Amino acid sequence: MYQAAGIVLGVMVLIYIISLRFKLSTELAMLMAAIGGAVSAGHWFPARHIAEGAITYLDINLIFISATLFMNILKESGGIAFIIRSIIKTFHKSRVLLLILLMIILLIPGALTGAGSVTVLITGGLVAVVLNYMGIKKIRIAAIIFLIAGLSAAAPPVSLWAMMTAAGVNMPYVGFFLPLLIPCVLGALFTIFFLGWKGTKIDVDKAFKELPSPPEKMNWWRIIVPFLIFFGLIFIGRKWPHNTPIVGMPLMFLLAGLSSYLLSPKKLKLFKISADTIKQLLPLIGTLTAVGILVQIMTLTGVRGLLAIMFITLPTFLVIGSLFVFLPITESVLMYGSAAVFGVPLVLLFNTMGLNPIVALAGMSIIWPLGDALPPTAIIGRLTVDVVGPKEKYSQFLKTCLVPSIVIAIIGTLMVIFSKDLGFLTGI
Amino acid sequence: MKTKSIIRKVLLSTAGLVIVVFAGIEFYQHRHYKETVVIGDWVEVKKLGDYFEGIQGSVNDCNVFIIEGDEPGATSLILGGSHPEEPAGRLAAWLMVENARIQTGKLIVVLSANRSGTTVTRPSGAYPTKYTIPTSWGGQTFRMGDRWSNPLDQWPDPEVYIHCPSGQNLAYVDIRNLNRTWPGRANGTLTEKTCYAYMQLIEKEKVDLVIDMHEAELQYPVINTIVAHENGQELATLVSMMLTDFEGFSIGTEFSPKNLHGLSHREIGDHSDAVSLLFEAPEPFLDATRGITGEKQLLEGKDEFVIKAGEHGLLFAPMDENGWPIDVRVGRHTSTILQTFESWNEYYPEKLIVCFDVPRYAEVIKNGIGFYLKNHEEADNKTIVFE
Repeated sequence: MYQAAGIVLGVMVLIYIISLRFKLSTELAMLMAAIGGAVSAGHWFPARHIAEGAITYLDINLIFISATLFMNILKESGGIAFIIRSIIKTFHKSRVLLLILLMIILLIPGALTGAGSVTVLITGGLVAVVLNYMGIKKIRIAAIIFLIAGLSAAAPPVSLWAMMTAAGVNMPYVGFFLPLLIPCVLGALFTIFFLGWKGTKIDVDKAFKELPSPPEKMNWWRIIVPFLIFFGLIFIGRKWPHNTPIVGMPLMFLLAGLSSYLLSPKKLKLFKISADTIKQLLPLIGTLTAVGILVQIMTLTGVRGLLAIMFITLPTFLVIGSLFVFLPITESVLMYGSAAVFGVPLVLLFNTMGLNPIVALAGMSIIWPLGDALPPTAIIGRLTVDVVGPKEKYSQFLKTCLVPSIVIAIIGTLMVIFSKDLGFLTGI
Repeated sequence: MKTKSIIRKVLLSTAGLVIVVFAGIEFYQHRHYKETVVIGDWVEVKKLGDYFEGIQGSVNDCNVFIIEGDEPGATSLILGGSHPEEPAGRLAAWLMVENARIQTGKLIVVLSANRSGTTVTRPSGAYPTKYTIPTSWGGQTFRMGDRWSNPLDQWPDPEVYIHCPSGQNLAYVDIRNLNRTWPGRANGTLTEKTCYAYMQLIEKEKVDLVIDMHEAELQYPVINTIVAHENGQELATLVSMMLTDFEGFSIGTEFSPKNLHGLSHREIGDHSDAVSLLFEAPEPFLDATRGITGEKQLLEGKDEFVIKAGEHGLLFAPMDENGWPIDVRVGRHTSTILQTFESWNEYYPEKLIVCFDVPRYAEVIKNGIGFYLKNHEEADNKTIVFE
């Protein structure tokens, strides 16, 4: 079995490299690697596995599409420009207050939805403009938004890594609130002050001159109502879960987008905005689809098991000591799938060692999202760079993320090591 | 350049279409494959919808097989297929329906407790869609399923699943997990309604004992065990002792945690008069470190990677090159059921349940499951039920 899975792994890596050499996109290279792996394992035409793998992240793709459509409608209606002008006008005198406010604005969408991409798409662009007027370099802004978006995804109440791993080990998703909240807030505070403290005072006149003017009829109600609909639907679902139909996040975003469209002070071309949204997201959707196929074929051929067993049978100190590298790497390849593939055996391993599985999993959950900037997928990293638009190379963006990433990884690793002592945070 | 681009798009679209067509055929065949059950004329077949209208006509309006003895006694409900990715539970229930005779009491068996979950496999899990148990007439094929209800039947999921009535937060996907939605809701999701229907069945049939059959990955601590609500702890302990002493395999007991909601062993005991037990057998196929995934691994239960995990002390059940074949896993379940009835009779002599003709552990291993399955091709049409 080792030999068979090892050969398939070798074939997959080889085809992936060759595909990239032939200038195929990352997504197509992953697809080719998956098909090559399946064929080398004797599955000549694994149509069902390709289709099944492709829908692994269907729900997440739908959230991406609907959330981005909502934000694009808001942007086209002039709502985003209106919000930015208001924030600058009200808070330009206090940098500390403004940074904390922006951090909270970044943390909320991901915390509620479990997706860092939603943070980037919903509030990332808005926060980026304000940070820009605070004299912060775009490369630093991109790093701030990416890192806090990642932390927002790990933050409670919805942390998909923790939830998926907990589901995989039949552990209730209970006791995670403080173990997730505290490191996420600490990490976000460090990130925004480390990368955003240095800058200039906001030149309000210059900012107002440069910012696009919202339509005259734009007002707070036109902006707040769509958000009220979105957050209201989440609130109702949480407050009265057993008397509320489940609409799902994609529909929530679509309803918010529809209301934003109807409330827009100027006429919007909905079909064009929708088509542009799909064009904008196509690489992201393509990557998630290809990753799903890749994971399916890796599971089919034993490659997934081979990688998992190789890692969890390392000496314990190496397993824990390399989490800060290993988890982001697995995230960069498998995304949320890494929780199912590696999170489950790791939590069971930690449980066997007598560590607190909830705190240890919370610690791992803040490390995982760091991998969302790493190739081959680099989904959230690429998305953030697209939204913020720094001129520097992508590698420079990664370098800028380095120091806060190390701090976040250290916090996460310490939580794993001292999970038993931190067990009181779970309240269980 | 433009022509090249068009050619490339046409080629890729065609390739995509071919994949969609072939995959679609396989998905359709999986979802609509009819499994056969051959029953004796002493077996009554009802539908789950007979107990709760809200489930009637749905994919989860499954067959409910009732075998009643000549003498009144205790009533036991056996649930197979709560998690259809755990085939030993379904197969053990199959052997009960096709073989069991009841002298005293009443036996109610469900083969596909979450029938929706038997019509889908897990994205990224690479499960086989079917598996075949060898028999003297060639083999009998069963649907492989998933842990969760099919999203075609219940979708979308909420961003977090809040269990009713406890209010406990669970992973969003568990709203489609039959063993996280007990005791269910009459106006809930399909999976919640299904549990509610079983609670109605338990009440209307005055069920005394519920047994929910499962399998677990070897890296999961709750394995090779009987999980018992506090109302069944003494019974479970006696069963465990008897099996360990007389059947040649060991099985432990676990007490159902009071703060872990939605599970059958907790909620059935809390919300009905029935004693509730859950059996766990080992299934290496479910381990996250498993190697090549397929029907062979599912049925033979052999896996080098899982053995390796065991060598590093990462497993909660023994694992060697013999693995955990399906016959062993099913045999454990049938013997544990029979021993539970026998132990029940010691505790409740005024309310007996006497069952015979069901093969025990050693017999299932010796003869194989297929030996006890009935050939539908030779059976009278009246005795064939489609599952």
